[in-house]
Amino acid sequence: MSVIETFDLTKVYRGHLGRAPKRSLDALNLTVGENELFGFLGRNGAGKTTTIKILCSLLRPTRGRAIILGEESRSRKARRLIGYLPENPYFYEYLTPRETLDFYGKLEGLNAAERAAEWKKLAELLDLGDIAGQRVRGFSKGMRQRLGFAVALVGNPPVLILDEPMSGLDPLGRRMIRELMLHLRDEKKTIFFSSHVLGDVQQVCDRVGILVNGKLTRQGRIDELLCEDVKGVEVIANTLPASVATELSGNTRHVRHSEAGYHFTVDDLNGANELVRRIHAKGGAVVEFTPVRESLEDYFMRLQEHAK
Amino acid sequence: MRMIAIAHNTFREAVRDKVLYVLLFFAASAIVGSKALGWISIGQDIKIVKDISLAAVSVFGVLIAIFVGTNLVYKEIDKRTIYTIVCRPIHRYEFILGKFAGLAILLAIVTGLMTGVAALYVLVLGGSVNLTFFTAALLIYWQLLLLTAMAVLLSSLTSPILGALIVFSAYLVGHATSILHDLPTVLKESWSGRLLEFIYYVLPNLSNFDIRAEAANGVEVSMLYVVWALGYGTLYTAFLLGLASLAFEDKDV
Repeated sequence: MSVIETFDLTKVYRGHLGRAPKRSLDALNLTVGENELFGFLGRNGAGKTTTIKILCSLLRPTRGRAIILGEESRSRKARRLIGYLPENPYFYEYLTPRETLDFYGKLEGLNAAERAAEWKKLAELLDLGDIAGQRVRGFSKGMRQRLGFAVALVGNPPVLILDEPMSGLDPLGRRMIRELMLHLRDEKKTIFFSSHVLGDVQQVCDRVGILVNGKLTRQGRIDELLCEDVKGVEVIANTLPASVATELSGNTRHVRHSEAGYHFTVDDLNGANELVRRIHAKGGAVVEFTPVRESLEDYFMRLQEHAK
Repeated sequence: MRMIAIAHNTFREAVRDKVLYVLLFFAASAIVGSKALGWISIGQDIKIVKDISLAAVSVFGVLIAIFVGTNLVYKEIDKRTIYTIVCRPIHRYEFILGKFAGLAILLAIVTGLMTGVAALYVLVLGGSVNLTFFTAALLIYWQLLLLTAMAVLLSSLTSPILGALIVFSAYLVGHATSILHDLPTVLKESWSGRLLEFIYYVLPNLSNFDIRAEAANGVEVSMLYVVWALGYGTLYTAFLLGLASLAFEDKDV
């Protein structure tokens, strides 16, 4: 069953003061399945935030429609089904996290007992207990992001739409968000998120969609999209004299030296095996042998090059 | 429930705005300072104090309505706090009405407070206040509601500075609409005369809410007139809020 579906979704921003109109999104047809963790990728200005804003009914599409669990995205029923985390979430600075969640609980139509239970559950999940009484003004990026997640989860929506949830976070913060998203997927939620951090996307996503200039150029499982072929092999060898290393470099793509030894990069597995044999013959020792496969980042860059 | 939550939050935000306290300080100074004008008008000092006090309630109430009102929706969009609100299962009109209601509650408290201080001051000076004085304050409050609705409408359409200029102009012209209507015959036939007459019918006639002179002189005002003025204000305010809700319904944020 599709949780999010878009049909020819198009958004053209009107030009102001004589400026030409800007087509931000061009006939987007996207499908996100149940309990999927879907990564939505694209460069700045590719149309990711526009898509998310249409899904969350902040923007009205120029053409096309978006459906969330069978409901038109602008309907109140659809909005009851989603939790939204904007990029750099902003909250009322004079409220505390507890007051903030209480406010959003009221907007969801929860009664006082339900709001108290919601606070207890979300404060524990997102570790908000220590900052429960502090005003949001002065919160760090990481604290705001945690609060933003809590706000998105108020009312226990089955679908989460997150705009750049890892942007601007330190490695610990990013890890926390990654683990949280995996935890929420385990709780049967469907998560649709945009990101620039391709390494993180590759680690957590089931499927991705890639936007280039407002058009969806690819969508599918990461392992289906990425080329499985070995792009090259890195062999690290030590106890080799410099003269031997220079001699061996003749059949390699690239050589560099580090504390670990000489790093030889060769084109394929046959070349690497031949290199290993020659290293051993010269009295050297192979300490690492790493086949290099295409990463999501490589794939993304390839698509961008192709689009030029 | 949702509208109440937004109204409560709007009220809470406005109460924490320092501008409010600066305006209240000046309003209190104007009320207390009105005695100075009373001294130079022999035998009329209580009348002058009542008149100036009610004028202060009106002017400072209008300033609060303008400063806070024209920022109400604009600030939510500018600070992006609106993102996590309109994606919730609320009607957009609930948001507009909630914002209006929050400021309306604040203005009720501020107007009540200023009127109470003014009445107390008149009593301290040896004067007396009758029902007309408080009726005048009620009509001032009704005028503030109308101007707040106008500020909310403009807040969802334009910048706070432009919105403030328009509402303040409407306040000034709204108290002098009779000038637009009672034009010399020569001017009435011209296109500018027709334009001024059009403005007369479009702009709210705020002099309907002005019974300061009667309050200062202790003259009774008929209940029928008060009900009529309140009805006029209510209809105009509802119309402006309807427009604001329509303008916000399809707005991209």
